[in-house]
Amino acid sequence: MTRLAEESSFDRPVPGMALTAELGGRPWQNPPQYTNIDEVLDFYVDRMSSEEFIDQAVDILEMGVPVTMLANTMQLANVMEGLHTVDTGTLALPVIMEMLMMLGDSANIEYTSGLDNPSTLSSKNPTRKSLVAKAASRYKDVLDEADFEPSEDADEEELDEEEEEVIEPSGLMARRG
Amino acid sequence: MPRRTDPAISAYNNMDIENMPKEKQTVKSTGLLGRPSKSSEGSMDFNNPTIRAAKQLEAIRKYRNEINDTTS
Repeated sequence: MTRLAEESSFDRPVPGMALTAELGGRPWQNPPQYTNIDEVLDFYVDRMSSEEFIDQAVDILEMGVPVTMLANTMQLANVMEGLHTVDTGTLALPVIMEMLMMLGDSANIEYTSGLDNPSTLSSKNPTRKSLVAKAASRYKDVLDEADFEPSEDADEEELDEEEEEVIEPSGLMARRG
Repeated sequence: MPRRTDPAISAYNNMDIENMPKEKQTVKSTGLLGRPSKSSEGSMDFNNPTIRAAKQLEAIRKYRNEINDTTS
């Protein structure tokens, strides 16, 4: 509110300003690059098979982002870039989702499909662990499994090292034994 | 996006690939007087973009099921 009050009223966008761009000036106002469902599906399958995409998608899914949301975002972003229309994008949505779920399954991670009813999901799994909590619990497991009792050999080696580490005087005027 | 209006959920749930009409093997007639093949009801219409998307989905689903079977 205070920020709005600070701004000059003349600098604000005029209502309807978004509609004043020249027709065809936006990518989605031009004919799409991929016109039919086959081309659109080929584009998505090719793109989603790249190693770079797989790594990123698996990271995002592991963060708890639902598959539905990720698929929607990808599809809408490509509509905005003028790659395909909304119609073909909506048709391709199930294939994109299935690909994402396949990536999640092959990476053997836990992901949210977004298809389940949230009320039933919350009763099944009330709190979804964040990545930090997951990492902390994994670290705790590693610590529990680790054997911190020093072995006898290690003790002897340490003693030898301590004996060797006698600091000799380095200055010119220092006495030498 | 609200769950009710999410196009991804409705598109995925409506893609009923288990009950899709099966592809029929059409026997080509060799003679000139053979009957022209009619597109019978229940066979796949590959001019329909939904059917083409469903075929792709079916292939990926099959592969996904194989992955799940091997990991579980």
